[in-house]
Amino acid sequence: MLGQYLPVVVLLILAFLFAALSFVASRLLAPRRPHDRKAAPYECGIIPGRETPERFPVRFFLVAMIFIVFDIEIVFLYPWAVAHGGLGLFGLVAVLLFSLAVFESFVYLIGNGALEWGPVRRVRHAVSPARTSTSTIRRAGVREVGLEGRTIGDESGRAA
Amino acid sequence: MSAVTTLAGMGDRAVLAADPLLRGDIDLGIVGIVVLKVVVAFALLLVSVMLMIWFERKLVADMHNRIGPAVAGPFGILQTLADGIKLFFKEDLIPDRSDRAVFKLAPYLSLVPAFLVFAIVPIGGDFSGDGTVTWFGERTYLQVADPPVGVLFFLALSSIAVYGVMLAGWSSGSKYPLLGSVRASAQMISYEAALGLAIATVFLTSGSLSTHDIVATQVEGNWNVLATGVVPFLVFLVAGTAELNRPPFDLVEAEQELVGGFHTEYSSLRFALFFLAEFMNVITMSAIAVTLFLGGPSGPILTDTLGWVWPILWFSVKVFAFLFGFVWLRATLPRFRYDQLMDLGWKVLIPLSLGWFLLIAAMRVADAEGWPVAPVVVVGLAGMTLGAVLLSGAVAKARAERLADLDATEGVDA
Repeated sequence: MLGQYLPVVVLLILAFLFAALSFVASRLLAPRRPHDRKAAPYECGIIPGRETPERFPVRFFLVAMIFIVFDIEIVFLYPWAVAHGGLGLFGLVAVLLFSLAVFESFVYLIGNGALEWGPVRRVRHAVSPARTSTSTIRRAGVREVGLEGRTIGDESGRAA
Repeated sequence: MSAVTTLAGMGDRAVLAADPLLRGDIDLGIVGIVVLKVVVAFALLLVSVMLMIWFERKLVADMHNRIGPAVAGPFGILQTLADGIKLFFKEDLIPDRSDRAVFKLAPYLSLVPAFLVFAIVPIGGDFSGDGTVTWFGERTYLQVADPPVGVLFFLALSSIAVYGVMLAGWSSGSKYPLLGSVRASAQMISYEAALGLAIATVFLTSGSLSTHDIVATQVEGNWNVLATGVVPFLVFLVAGTAELNRPPFDLVEAEQELVGGFHTEYSSLRFALFFLAEFMNVITMSAIAVTLFLGGPSGPILTDTLGWVWPILWFSVKVFAFLFGFVWLRATLPRFRYDQLMDLGWKVLIPLSLGWFLLIAAMRVADAEGWPVAPVVVVGLAGMTLGAVLLSGAVAKARAERLADLDATEGVDA
């Protein structure tokens, strides 16, 4: 039976060679002009002010953990789906019980907010009622917009 | 009633899939044929990716009322080739803060699975017969390989592709790629569960994991349109689009938030390989959808001479319809919000495809046991409704608790 995998192995080798040879060609053809700025993390021209965060929201981990539950369910469903003809009613009852257990725990997880991602859907006053058009709109010429706190002509605040 | 019996009535087939070419001893001639098939499939993939990128740009341009690529070659058809060649001559940058070994490994992890998935897709062969063609005196299938694990191979490779995306973003040592890759991996594994459950119904009707057998059983049973052609097919389409990170599910590379997503730090050829893998995945996902749900290369053979061309033609037409659909979606739909994406995957698609799978399974077992099918359907639908009610109750409870928590911590709004 393993002979059936021969073409897959040949294709694997070919795909790998394609990628590797492309890299060799690129190394030969591409220029190399290293510069500090090029090797810095790309943040649209802003100099990165802090380290890359190493932690991210726990919800992503939760998704991965709940995925495993369903992955295992799929692992059990596939062989039964292929062989269900020979197992008859017994197989069906077993799979129904199993799916019920998985679904019930899934409902429990959702009920406890394991997959709650949504924003707060609630009307909030985005702007304080104390603000009026006269208090927020600046007249041009009186102040230069965006230059508060800076002395005009002082470049130190601009170039980081 | 007759529809119901055709739905559940397909006989059980215990076919052990295998390409007749590789069943016996393997001599040098057979290895030659294998290499020929692999090289043809490889070249076909690369050329079709090239054309697909051009097609997408041109079609989106048309839908935007622009001209699109028009300079390189007639209708700009060589634009992709020109872009590819250009990328060979671009400087290859590796950021200082990156994990160099992983950074270099990630493009391989994306590209190699993209190539391999295509191996299990039957692209031709007359399925009114046994689906074989005769080359150089050897009978073989018109697909690169037909391993008995078939579709599992596709699922395994699409899981490996998640590593490519995840490691690319993580190893870049930069904010936006990391955010993009975390989003991407959560999205891809979420929709992989929905994808897997949708495919499970196909296995019920085919009784085999091999793609060749799946196509053969579809030809016998009108593509199993009622059992797999509506609910599992639609779930597969949505989950497949999300799995490919295509619009409207392209949060992975949402330009406005994440620069370029997980491949922000990649340049030159490394970027080109990610790009290649992405579009290759679009083509193979369309081909897999055609194989699992739309009868693969089957279709009427209209002429006697050159009869082997027709299945390939039907296959290409079906795949092309999907490719057009993917581009159309991109031009039409705005991007989902991340919580909408997660809700759709977990709270709609997964329960729906699980319920449908159990319903079809119960109908098939009832049919085999000789029970009347109609009561089973009624009970099954009642069970699905009960499940939906429970689930929406749980969702409502979680939402109410979250809002109550917010009120407690932040105070109710004025």
